[in-house]
Amino acid sequence: MFAFIGFSLRRAWQGFWRNALMSLAATLTMVLMLLLLAGFFVLQNVLVASLSFVEQKVEVVAYVQNTATADQVDALVKHIGAMPEVASVTFVSREEALAKFRAMQTAQGRGDVTATLDTNPLYASLNVKLRSPGDLDTVTNALDGSPIVRNVLNIQALVERVTTVTTVIRNAGAVILGIVGLIVLFIVVNTIRLAVLARAEEIEIMRLVGASDAFIRWPFIFEGGLVGLLGALIAIGILAAAAQPASAAMAGFFNVLPLELGPVGRDTAALVLGTGLGLGVAGSWLSVRTYLIR
Amino acid sequence: MTQTASAYPTFMERLTGRRAPVRTSRDVVVLHGVTKRYPNGRVALRDVDLVVPEGDFVFLVGPSGAGKSTLMRLLIRDELASKGHVVVDGNDLGRLRRRDVPRIRRKIGVVFQDFKLLPRKTVRENVGFALEVTGTKRALVGPAVDRVLALVGLTAQADQLPTQLSGGEQQRTAIARALVHDPRLIIADEPTGNLDPVISWELIQLLLRINELGVTILMATHDAEVVTSLRKRVVALEDGRVIRDETGATYHQAD
Ligand SMILES: Nc1ncnc2c1ncn2[C@@H]1O[C@H](COP(=O)(O)OP(=O)(O)OP(=O)(O)O)[C@@H](O)[C@H]1O
Ligand SMILES: [Mg+2]
Repeated sequence: MFAFIGFSLRRAWQGFWRNALMSLAATLTMVLMLLLLAGFFVLQNVLVASLSFVEQKVEVVAYVQNTATADQVDALVKHIGAMPEVASVTFVSREEALAKFRAMQTAQGRGDVTATLDTNPLYASLNVKLRSPGDLDTVTNALDGSPIVRNVLNIQALVERVTTVTTVIRNAGAVILGIVGLIVLFIVVNTIRLAVLARAEEIEIMRLVGASDAFIRWPFIFEGGLVGLLGALIAIGILAAAAQPASAAMAGFFNVLPLELGPVGRDTAALVLGTGLGLGVAGSWLSVRTYLIR
Repeated sequence: MTQTASAYPTFMERLTGRRAPVRTSRDVVVLHGVTKRYPNGRVALRDVDLVVPEGDFVFLVGPSGAGKSTLMRLLIRDELASKGHVVVDGNDLGRLRRRDVPRIRRKIGVVFQDFKLLPRKTVRENVGFALEVTGTKRALVGPAVDRVLALVGLTAQADQLPTQLSGGEQQRTAIARALVHDPRLIIADEPTGNLDPVISWELIQLLLRINELGVTILMATHDAEVVTSLRKRVVALEDGRVIRDETGATYHQAD
């Protein structure tokens, strides 16, 4: 068994270097395709992050009865905040609401109309941010059910419009990423098929002298894995070198949106490594298979 | 190197003198009622019967398209018979499981008109390749290769590439590769087709010597002079049928 693995690895290594030009061409193709894939993957992540930023703007506002006690409000905030659909809850008291209103009026250059009032006409409110706009109904109903809630602002139409747009954009992004993935798959598998085709004579001789399928297949699979691994490592190296300047430029470009991209770097590296290795191995497995059918 | 401990001495055992030659009545090849129809409908062999006992030297002759190469492809199970039985060294190839095919192929050495050598490997590597890819221990490869290279007279050229060899030397490399598995049978499909007459004779002499060591040889050829002067067994095919099977015969049908 170890002798067999040793044999396969040795033959894979020899095969790679005996056809160095072909192998390097395949590796280069692999690198370019992986970079393409990684580029679109990062774009897709930026897109998704931007969209959820937009969607998080969706806020359910529930006005609270003036008769509500502080304990009742606290209980409601706790109850709503504990819902899985809810991202955050902030309570805006009547005084804060008035202060905000005044600040807005001043900012717009108008006189303070509230100065003439002797009572505060505004209601306190619960501002609830949702994890996903699709949960609007659930959260609205929960708020409506509370006796201390006066009314919930109806933003159904607005939310529907926003989700329609974001869903379309998100799906378009996923489809494009999928298409790029297919193109990468096709080109890489085809390149490996060509590399194997160049060795058809060798495979034929192996069959004629009585080599078993495993002895024919595994050196090619290891060789494909080597091309995939090497391609992935080079691609990751290039991406790592480009990441710093690129993210600096991105931060400048997107600084209006405090995007939460999460561990995109790690995900991209995993994607590149997995795709490279997977395509290298699967590609050579498929290519050699055509010769082993008989 | 020897996969099965046989009651019969192999050619390598005879060559190294470990066992004396024994005449056996064993049949290495048996074809019974074999018909081969290719997927495109073309019938290349029709109801062929052929028995080749161990140690025979058989010339397979016949016009182009008669079915000689097809018969050889059936013997190495590159193709399967459409009808009838093909039995090699006691194994019915039609009933053989896929994973047992390589074991049968190691009992057969094949030699082709176009040599089929790997251009980037030396003579030694080309011959050793046949052992390496069948899982022979590395320590055993070198001595076995040296032995067959000595037998075919290529010791001096062992480290040359095929492009640095004459046609005859290339074909002798192919024969060495065919021998290195210690086969019961050598199948040669027009092995002298690309060689000039003098070199062809040298090659035939080599095959005769290998035959004397006990290896059964089946050789397809168009070379009338060689066939006629050697007076070996001749099997003539025409349009997929055996039309003649004589021992001590000539290339053309005696009138
Ligand atoms: N793979 C194939 N598919 C279809 N028909 C084939 C195939 N191989 C051979 N044939 C046909 O089978 C017949 C026998 O061919 P074969 O190669 O066995 O002849 P041959 O006796 O070796 O001829 P030659 O002396 O020219 O080598 C021919 O008519 C040929 O066209
Ligand atoms: Mg032929």
